[in-house]
Amino acid sequence: MPHPDDHLSDQDLVLAADGELTPRRDAEVRAHLSACWQCRARMRGMEGAIADFVQLHSATLDRQLPPAAGPRAQLKARLAENAPQSAVPRRLVLAQAALGLTLAGVAIALVLYLVPRPNTASVPRPQLTPGAVRPVIKSDVCAVSGNQALVVPVALQRRVFEEYGIRNAQLDAYEVDYLITPELGGASDIRNLWPQPYSSTVWNARVKDALEERLHQMVCDGQLDLATAQHDIATNWIAAYKKYFNSSRPRQN
Amino acid sequence: MPEPDSVARWELAAGGKTKRALAPTANEQEVVQLFDELRSRLLRYLLALGLPAQDGEEVIQEVFLALFQHLQKGRSRQNLRGWIFRVAHNLGLKRRLARARETTGALASQEALAAIRSDPAENPEERLLSNQRYQRLQSVLRALPEQDQWCLTLRAEGLRYRDIAEVLDMSLASVSASLGRSLARFSRVDVNHGC
Repeated sequence: MPHPDDHLSDQDLVLAADGELTPRRDAEVRAHLSACWQCRARMRGMEGAIADFVQLHSATLDRQLPPAAGPRAQLKARLAENAPQSAVPRRLVLAQAALGLTLAGVAIALVLYLVPRPNTASVPRPQLTPGAVRPVIKSDVCAVSGNQALVVPVALQRRVFEEYGIRNAQLDAYEVDYLITPELGGASDIRNLWPQPYSSTVWNARVKDALEERLHQMVCDGQLDLATAQHDIATNWIAAYKKYFNSSRPRQN
Repeated sequence: MPEPDSVARWELAAGGKTKRALAPTANEQEVVQLFDELRSRLLRYLLALGLPAQDGEEVIQEVFLALFQHLQKGRSRQNLRGWIFRVAHNLGLKRRLARARETTGALASQEALAAIRSDPAENPEERLLSNQRYQRLQSVLRALPEQDQWCLTLRAEGLRYRDIAEVLDMSLASVSASLGRSLARFSRVDVNHGC
């Protein structure tokens, strides 16, 4: 905003003091200052104000700073906990992974063969519940606070139970839950709903709620992009919990 | 060789029989270096937001753990200092909200203010005048809109205008207008009191 009588604005003065003007504008401002006593006095006032604020800021806050050694050691310990735990050669890792996958495949096939359906667990079956999202962006999901309950219509709940082969007599043992929570853009779609058993004692709905809240917060803080949050919770919410809480077990509140 | 104060991390060596200490990774070292460089500045900023020191320390831990994850995932290393201040600002505001603090924009407690600048070379009258002047400066500061206070504080912590704009999600022009407006008020503090 131009100053009255064509003097320099406060904004120009502070930009000049901070070296933030373009070279051309800087030359104009310097030329004006050399000719104008009034603006030079105001410039000195600005520089005095900067000195006053810096002194006030430091004098008020410096004495409240605790020593850094403790927090530094704590950070190093937490980084060490979170760092990759193994330096095993990549080829060996791949071989181990292939062997692990083969064994896991055999184990899953055995479980599917031996255990009668319906077979529900703390995680949904990906072929029935891959997750589905609404066309939203970060500002949409951050406009609402996390963990707001959204009731699944009864008719839709019935369809979910049918899809998972759950008989009417067992309905009260489950909660139909969103895989990708609506607060992260999850859709009210059968592909995004599954019957979560109340019998899960460790990885239960309360733990998943905590993850949903954490992911919502991280997305809105700019620490995580929305697509990654949706992907991770849809792929395996328990693995996502472990990843984002840096914990192999649910944390106690 | 591990540093004396580092936490020992161990892994099985190739033979599976012996153990050795793992040196910190490059990302860990970079995070600790940035912590050493920025911790005091971040903590002053978080105190200025109105957080108690303990909350500020916890926020800083969260910030640097988030930075570590950011680096581990191979995400952008461009302007990491700006990124750190932005995450600290957002987490600090959330923590403040959670604490349900009503002292909007308080930059320091009254107790801390009363304790400032007790220079032994000053006589009691000079000290009183000096403190009165600081109280006037403090009043000016408190009367500023909160975003103007944040701009000033970030600038005092050495951030350039582009970084401040990014941290506070403002335009460059808004940052310079805010600083110009605030400093003009500070520069008039003595004029308005006949000093």
